[in-house]
Amino acid sequence: MKRLLFQLSLVLVLVSLVVSGCAPAAAPATPAPAVENTVIVEVEKVVTATPAPVEEKAFRVALILPSTTKDSSFSQAMYDALVRLQEEMGKDKLEIAYSESMFKIPDAAAAIRDYASQGYNLVIAHGSQYGSSLAEIAPDFPTTAFAWGTTVNTFQSEGINNIFAYTGTSQFGGYVMGAVGAMLSKSKKVGICGPIETGDNRNYVKGVVQGVKDTNLGVTVTTIWTGSYSDVTAMATCAQTHIQDGADVLYGSSQSSTGAIAAAKENNVYWFGHQYDNIPLAPEVVVASQVYDFVPTLKDMIATIKAGVYGGKVYTLTLQNGGFEIRYNKNIEIPADVKAKADELLEKVKKGEIEIPLD
Amino acid sequence: MSKLLSNGQPQIGEVRAVGIVKRFPGVLANDHVDFDVKAGEIHALLGENGAGKSTLMRQLYGLYQPDEGKILIDGVEHRFHSPKDAIRAGIGMIHQHFMLVPELTVVENVALGLKSSRGFVLDLDVVEKRVCALAEQYGLKIDPKASVWQLAVGEQQRVEIIKALYRGAAVLILDEPTAVLTPQEVDDLFVTLRQMAAEGHALVFISHKLHEVLAISDRVTVLRDGRVVGKRPTQGATKEELAQMMVGRPVILQYDMPPLQCGDTLLKIEDLFVQGDRGVDAVAGLSLELHAGEILGLAGVSGNGQRELAQALTGLRPVRKGRVLLHDKDVTNASPSERMALGLSYIPEERMKEGAIRDFSVADNIILQDHHKPPYVRSIFFDFKAIKNDAKRLVEAFNVKTPTLDTPIKNLSGGNIQKLIMGRELWRRPSVLIAAQPTRGVDIGASEYIHQQLLGQRNGATTVESSVVQRRTPTQAGMEMREMLEGRREQCLATLLISEDLDEIRALSDRIAVIYEGKIVGIVDRNEATVEQLGLMMAGVRKEEALGLKKSGDHSEKEPS
Amino acid sequence: MGDLFTLPVLLGIIYSGIRFATPYLFAAIGETFSQRSGVLNLGVDGMMLMGAYSGFFVAVKTNNLWLGLLAAALTGGLMGLLMAVISVTFQATQGISGIGLHILGLGLSTLLFTTTMGGVGTIGGFPPVRIPLLGEIPYIGDIFFNHNILVYFAFLLVPVSNWILYKTTFGLQVRAVGQSPEAADTLGVSVKGIRYITVTLGGILAGIAGASISIALINVFQENITNGMGFIAVALVYFGAWRPTGVLFGSLLFSFVNALQQWVQLKGIPIPAGMAVMLPYILTIVVLAFSSRRISKPAALTKKFERGES
Repeated sequence: MKRLLFQLSLVLVLVSLVVSGCAPAAAPATPAPAVENTVIVEVEKVVTATPAPVEEKAFRVALILPSTTKDSSFSQAMYDALVRLQEEMGKDKLEIAYSESMFKIPDAAAAIRDYASQGYNLVIAHGSQYGSSLAEIAPDFPTTAFAWGTTVNTFQSEGINNIFAYTGTSQFGGYVMGAVGAMLSKSKKVGICGPIETGDNRNYVKGVVQGVKDTNLGVTVTTIWTGSYSDVTAMATCAQTHIQDGADVLYGSSQSSTGAIAAAKENNVYWFGHQYDNIPLAPEVVVASQVYDFVPTLKDMIATIKAGVYGGKVYTLTLQNGGFEIRYNKNIEIPADVKAKADELLEKVKKGEIEIPLD
Repeated sequence: MSKLLSNGQPQIGEVRAVGIVKRFPGVLANDHVDFDVKAGEIHALLGENGAGKSTLMRQLYGLYQPDEGKILIDGVEHRFHSPKDAIRAGIGMIHQHFMLVPELTVVENVALGLKSSRGFVLDLDVVEKRVCALAEQYGLKIDPKASVWQLAVGEQQRVEIIKALYRGAAVLILDEPTAVLTPQEVDDLFVTLRQMAAEGHALVFISHKLHEVLAISDRVTVLRDGRVVGKRPTQGATKEELAQMMVGRPVILQYDMPPLQCGDTLLKIEDLFVQGDRGVDAVAGLSLELHAGEILGLAGVSGNGQRELAQALTGLRPVRKGRVLLHDKDVTNASPSERMALGLSYIPEERMKEGAIRDFSVADNIILQDHHKPPYVRSIFFDFKAIKNDAKRLVEAFNVKTPTLDTPIKNLSGGNIQKLIMGRELWRRPSVLIAAQPTRGVDIGASEYIHQQLLGQRNGATTVESSVVQRRTPTQAGMEMREMLEGRREQCLATLLISEDLDEIRALSDRIAVIYEGKIVGIVDRNEATVEQLGLMMAGVRKEEALGLKKSGDHSEKEPS
Repeated sequence: MGDLFTLPVLLGIIYSGIRFATPYLFAAIGETFSQRSGVLNLGVDGMMLMGAYSGFFVAVKTNNLWLGLLAAALTGGLMGLLMAVISVTFQATQGISGIGLHILGLGLSTLLFTTTMGGVGTIGGFPPVRIPLLGEIPYIGDIFFNHNILVYFAFLLVPVSNWILYKTTFGLQVRAVGQSPEAADTLGVSVKGIRYITVTLGGILAGIAGASISIALINVFQENITNGMGFIAVALVYFGAWRPTGVLFGSLLFSFVNALQQWVQLKGIPIPAGMAVMLPYILTIVVLAFSSRRISKPAALTKKFERGES
């Protein structure tokens, strides 16, 4: 009995471990068209991406993600960029491995070290919570390049030369979308649902707020922070609260914002997304999304590494350099004057004519 | 068709167990036991703990299945796979530890496990009516709507009896039913049992208390080591005879108590208030003095503050108000180790919780308090040789039966664990000893030994030597122990004996203090009060009143066991 | 500050408080049954996740929300059964096996989701149902009688489970088994049988709790969507002193305070967002700390039962 019990628990634990997604490497997927009432991003059959042995050594990238590759958010933005890059470079030239759902930092640190010792050329720790782990691990692997974001800290001041940093000026896209939302709002109330008031999300929210205010249309804007990147329910409640308060245009970001998007859809109020294209999630109400495009950054990073430099560089993703893109939903008609104003503001932003104080 | 009993069940003429054999790993619990009980009689089943009484009865009740032998009811063989089968056949059992759910009401406890007349929905009103009717017929006073935890122990027992009757018991097995009762409650119980027998029920009365067996039963069967060693009508039997059958050798049932010689107050309790687990004062204004050389018995019904008092005295529970003086030193808020250093020793009520660590070996349990001191440690390491050495001496001196010193203590019998704990505490040469329920759940042989040890510590106890000690060959350990005892006598150990067993209290105490609702209702000298008078005091009657009331019609029981 | 105490805010708090108490109610009442019989199941969150996933998956694939709900109940029930096998039959330590169950539910739901559905998606969940007459009452109708069907179910579950626990033979057996399994056993009550039923029932209700998130309240599924709600539900059982009405009170309080803190932020009350977010949790701890003494938990909670052992 005891023995059986032991074996049973062992199996349970093993299954749990395997299942909880520590295993790296899975195949890319492409979004499929929506189904009626429901909108699901379907995946094609999963194929394990074991690269065939090649003559010329493939460049090997490992990715540590706080969420999943399918989170319609920050994690997926990076993963999709790598997959696109792989399609461009060829599977024999770029090898990708990833660990998702690394919301526990010690787990992530273990994965980072693991990939580094397996000889990956570039290990990307895709979250601002991973910084101290990187600073600890990177010096042990001087010929491995590491990257993390969003941040501007490469730890070069601490004598570490193999860490890249990337950050985004997400406030500017937020500014433009804030203005569009303010112009679309009939109730003159706009609500924002943010996860945690820091980094990229904080900047984005600042941009939205200023964008709304600068329209001078008398539109009020309020922000609720849920205190979590993963609390979907809190995001949903947040959206509900804004809607009850009378808001008819909502903003939000992080992987938990799906909860808010669903609430927006249910109550038929406009939604503006950030980090990843939210339009397929609710084509009826998502007006636009500011979308990360990490491909240029990754390209440069790989080239730099191949040239023998393993870190010390800060990449800033902007609307100008293609690191960001504002993607509009073709199904939602925006009045021409609004669109014109939006385009005008975008130009101004790109020219650097708008200043958004972040403190 | 046989006669119907008052609970509407047909009478069972005879239950007979034939050649019952029951083995547990390493133990032959029942060795070809024959036993029978007939309608209208009370059949006592007598034996020490571990003699196989409960095992035998559990087979009659379907909790265990016999390995060999059979059970006949009115000549028809029955096989019980669970208590359900036994209940269906008309057998009920009252366990020593009540099988009641404290949080449920009386009626709910009775209804538990029964089919409802309304299917899925409870029919508590129907059950309540029948409970009241049964209570009336059998003279069992009970409030059917009360929660069981609010009831006194005697009342809880009545609930158990009603439960069995309700389920149609024609035969009732009572496992040590008097163990937790006050003398008055025992009297009430006996009245009920006699009435039930007169009705035509067949009753089995399991006990190791000789005077009760003599008082209530019609026949008696004695078990020892799983075998029937005697079977006879109760009439004409004597305590000595039964005790010898039970233990297998002559037993001392009465102890000599030479007069006190010392007398300094060693422990003084002044107006003590201690909170119980439920946040109310369990000890409420208790004052007591304990003198060198005496054994002060603290009698009382369970739950009147004894446990909290013992814990407060030993530093395991905070004192809310009042003072405790040990050797004139205020130790009210002192830690247990400070008190130990002042010469306090404690034999706790919950021996497995407070007295010993279940999974630790005998030797480890012996050095528990002193494991950090020489000779058991040298610098920071244990000196296993010294530990083994002392453990061996103690085990021998106190007659602890254990296979090895490395045996986990949980594998020892209750009596041996208690002897070990007592030995450990006495070995420390205390000046004040708190002994809480020292023989609860301990068999008669070990009880006798423990009692004699306690008496042996008392001042001036020169003539009493344990028969057990006497019979043992004078080993090195035995000699040492004798020396130790001599030494202690000079110190005049003061003992506070907390017990719910009135016989024990009366047999050992110089003075008896009775506790009721956290206060002392009176202190009497050894022979000043009868069992009945003490019983009244245990129910809260003040000493003067209790003694005055009963003085004339004194029919006290002369022989404590 | 005065801005917070207005009618619309109050109505808003009550409305979302009631709405989001739903998953807590289902899960915590299920856990109440389990704990009342003596089994502490810490795997509620895992069971909820499996329920949330399977409810969402089946509802999407069949386009039938009721089938989704049924699937969630079945999946939750199976998870509960697994817990019962481990903790009742094999008598594994309840706390540890519950944690194992949580990890299993978390991992398995994520794996199944990514392999069967791919990415995050939304669904049209159970729509609000306005109760005739009552729903027409101004204000009251909107906040109390205009919810989706699962919200009503959750609140109906309180009197129903109260009735089951206190007025049926099954309920009596559950209470007895949790307090004193030996006593129940001697009266022919099957201790293990009762525990199997309650733990499985707890699983079914946890599965429904999960589905209430994924196909009625939020209408989304994604990895770890419950975000620890199941653990809050376990705490709510203690909070509610093992009574359905107490659980109701706790769920509403928690949910109300959760809604309140968002309004506090929305109305610009100068409390740091981090503090506001912590409010419900702080409140739970405070209440637990102060209530722990007066409540008496099932005496046999977390204790395994084997006949003849004591």
